[in-house]
Amino acid sequence: MQNAIEVRGLQKSYGDVHAVRGIDFEVAQGEVFGLLGPNGAGKTTTVEILEGLRTRSSGDVKVLGFDPAVQVRALKDRIGVCLQATNLPDKVTVHEALEWFGSFYSQRVDSDKLIDRLQLSDKRNTFYSKLSGGQKQRVALALALINDPQLVFLDEPTTGLDPQVRLEIHGLITELRADKRTILITTHYIEEAERLCDRVAIVDQGRIIEVGTPREIQARTLGHSRIEIRTSQPMPAEVPHFQESEKAVLDGERRLLIVDSTRPARTLPELVKWIDQEGLDLEDIHLKRPTLEDVFIELTGKRLRD
Amino acid sequence: MNAYIAQIRMNLRLTFRDRGVLIFGYVFPLMFLFMFGQLGHADQGSSSQIVNMVLTIGVLGSGFFGAAMRAITERENNILRRFKVAPIDAGPILVSSLVVGLVTYLPLVVIVISLAQGMWGMAPIENKGSVFLFLGIGVIAFRAMGGMIASVANSMQEGQILVQMFYMPMLLLGGATIPLTVMPEWLQTASQFLPSTHFSMGMKGIFQRHESITDNLSAVGALLLTAVLGTFLGVKLFRWDKEEKLRPSAKFWLVAVLAPFLALGAWQSYAKTNLAKDKMLERDSNRNHTFLIRNARLFLGDGTVIEQGSVLVKNGKIAEVFTGAAPDAKSLKAESIEAAGKTLLPGLIDVHVHLGANGGFASKQDDYTKADENIDHELAAYLYSGVTAVKSAGDTLDAMLKHREAIASGETLGAELFTVGPMFTVEGGHGAEALQYIPENVRATVQQQIVRLPKSADEARAQVAALKAKGVDGIKAILDAGAGSTHWNRLDPQILRAIGDAARQAGLPLVVHTGDARDVADALDAGASGIEHGSFHEVIPAALFARMKEANVTYDPTLTAVEGIAAFVKQDLTPLQRSLVIQTAPPDLLESTKALMVSPSVNSFRAAYAGYPVNLDVAQKNLVAAQQAGVTLVTGTDSGNPLVLHGPAVHRELQLWVAAGVPPAAALQGATYNAAKLLRADRRIGLIRGGYEATLLLVDGNPLQEISATERISIVFLKGEAINRTKLLERK
Repeated sequence: MQNAIEVRGLQKSYGDVHAVRGIDFEVAQGEVFGLLGPNGAGKTTTVEILEGLRTRSSGDVKVLGFDPAVQVRALKDRIGVCLQATNLPDKVTVHEALEWFGSFYSQRVDSDKLIDRLQLSDKRNTFYSKLSGGQKQRVALALALINDPQLVFLDEPTTGLDPQVRLEIHGLITELRADKRTILITTHYIEEAERLCDRVAIVDQGRIIEVGTPREIQARTLGHSRIEIRTSQPMPAEVPHFQESEKAVLDGERRLLIVDSTRPARTLPELVKWIDQEGLDLEDIHLKRPTLEDVFIELTGKRLRD
Repeated sequence: MNAYIAQIRMNLRLTFRDRGVLIFGYVFPLMFLFMFGQLGHADQGSSSQIVNMVLTIGVLGSGFFGAAMRAITERENNILRRFKVAPIDAGPILVSSLVVGLVTYLPLVVIVISLAQGMWGMAPIENKGSVFLFLGIGVIAFRAMGGMIASVANSMQEGQILVQMFYMPMLLLGGATIPLTVMPEWLQTASQFLPSTHFSMGMKGIFQRHESITDNLSAVGALLLTAVLGTFLGVKLFRWDKEEKLRPSAKFWLVAVLAPFLALGAWQSYAKTNLAKDKMLERDSNRNHTFLIRNARLFLGDGTVIEQGSVLVKNGKIAEVFTGAAPDAKSLKAESIEAAGKTLLPGLIDVHVHLGANGGFASKQDDYTKADENIDHELAAYLYSGVTAVKSAGDTLDAMLKHREAIASGETLGAELFTVGPMFTVEGGHGAEALQYIPENVRATVQQQIVRLPKSADEARAQVAALKAKGVDGIKAILDAGAGSTHWNRLDPQILRAIGDAARQAGLPLVVHTGDARDVADALDAGASGIEHGSFHEVIPAALFARMKEANVTYDPTLTAVEGIAAFVKQDLTPLQRSLVIQTAPPDLLESTKALMVSPSVNSFRAAYAGYPVNLDVAQKNLVAAQQAGVTLVTGTDSGNPLVLHGPAVHRELQLWVAAGVPPAAALQGATYNAAKLLRADRRIGLIRGGYEATLLLVDGNPLQEISATERISIVFLKGEAINRTKLLERK
């Protein structure tokens, strides 16, 4: 089966600024693929090249079999795009907006069905300016789906939305995924990428530094889990070496011990046993698995939301 | 195509939901309409200018606020961003903006025009097609300019600055709000580079002068070109996203869009036809006031007097004449001009002047570059003096036709000009004597302009036909062998007859300068319509006056010239001391004439005049004989002759007539209705009558009792305009 997106050696420069410095990836049909990276990493530039909104400096790109630099219109007709921070005129109703944009495409789905599906039925004839942030974002998603696209680009689909709304949107995206549509999401929300994406590419400074399923990436990187133990009494200054652990750090009062472990299932029982032997009261125990963010920090030396 | 239709339909729907469109597109313009209608007395004739102003404000608003600001706002609010991922380009978006402009603006046009017609009685629009087409092209062009501003503005602030930079000058300097004619000339020239000037000028022309769209092709062409360029470049430079910035130099594309107007402006700073047109338009609007001249004594022109009457003037014409106590001006929607104790006459007419001569002596050799300026001043001096029409009885043809046109169009303000162009005489005859002083290399050209010297009847006929084709108002021939020590060759009466025949065929009145009774007889034989001068030295037999009466031939004694020549010969300066002469003559001309009168340098000139005997007494006796014979008398002054300065000479002529014994009413009839008949203009001037041009003279007192009252001028009206006489004679 042909890939929905194929990118080989993609580069984009603005004068001396190299926004994209050679990117390769492919997205299979029906796959949900995430581009994860901080602002300015080159995600948006990459996506806009794929959407036909920008030209590339070099490299090969195929989107649904089209070259986005050449067959722009045919491509735009077949994809759905939900850009971040777009608006509609204040005095357009939800239904009008769908009809309006629908008329630009060669194929389209029924507006009312889409409205139902995105739970906007009671807002069908409401002006855009009267919608809440989540409703506006649902309208944006509806507009991205009006032409029944095989491939949907979601650029930061939940940025700026409150957590409740974000969950709603995640639910909708999950439904789209069930439709077997190909989805490319750019995001800097780790949870979003972990929750929604089949595969993730981590982008930094115009390059992809890791690609894989979220789990693969975690495994491929050093992937430490962290065990934090708090006791009522101070612990001995000398902490023994536990199995599979990397290092152990005690805080100043010696009541908090942090142990990094590659296999917490082995390390943890030993640790608890040692506390018991020392006759200490265990106050709290906490196991933190490595997140994509941890991976990211490890790979790039910086945080995502910087 | 689908995208265009969807875009237009949705854009229209959104536009009509936008309260701003309602307020800026309709409420404000209509407020302006009512406000300026009140301030500008729209009900008294200025309604079409106010409609013009409101519609121009509407077009500018639609272009710069409607199109430009809306597009910038949509980009800044990330609305356009949504469109850029859809498979459409900028075309439908820009085109729908133009269509929305049309659909929202044209109803305003209908509303404004209907209101102006309903409230203020504005004249119906005859050329509706041209009005709507021109306005439509205007809206599209200004919206295209607005679209271009939106395309090059990188931010809201930039957009606002650019919009103001376009809007304010176009609003204030485009001639729609502040008349160009009140601006200094450099500013008028600068205004010709603004699209709104050409738009408002074209609209005024179509509206007020009933021009068609084809009379305004340069404006239409420039507007269309701007619309096309603006749309094309707008599509090319269109940006969906506020994050995309254009390099600052892209703003120069605005210059490209304005290029048609820069070209027009450059052309206009050379040709100045728009400045001329603007003067005409201002003239038109000055002529459109409605007013009631109340309770005056009315001398109707044909000898009838209404002791108490009122005249309603509307759209430049006499609308109605009321007898008895005046009606209420307000109920007639007219401004009131109280005229109790005054006398209203038709404007006076001088049927015999020579504008090419100044009537005095200039200190310098005649400066030919000033010739046009001098003639403008002379015609203004007539108007100042209440002489609203003059006939040039022999001057350079092309200059006269040009000035006649400039006066008729309203471009220059002065007495209406009629002209015979060159005079028919004979080689060595009177009228041709000056030719010998003209340098040989230009003599033929000058001769062609000022005289016709036919050597045969056929040549004469051909010359009359050619002048008819040129557009002269009459033919003038000279039949005078001289008198005293002056001897001229005399035109062959056979040739004169041919001239008379040809003139009759051409429908032109023939007037003949005569020196004595024989000349009068030959002129009558030739079928002349008018006798000029009669004789200054020989009593004309009663039989000839009887023939004149029989044949309905006018008699113009030109007594003022007799007085002037006599005074010149005697070195008598009295003619220069008359009040109206001092008011109207160029001060330097007056000074130099006084100085040169006693200087030996004019001695030979004086001798030439002294050689031809003139006798005011004889001339007056001939006049009285003509009057008693029932001959139609007309007033001419032969202004341009020594000490007969252009302007007020008819007043003196009237006084000399009355002094000779002609009743004032008969004299005044000679200066009004009779003169108009000789000019073949008696169906529109010379009478106070409904439908006639409101070309009138209001004087203090009663000239029927005291003829010199005509000099006590209260107001001069020309085609409905109350002339600002002080401003009229301001020289640059």
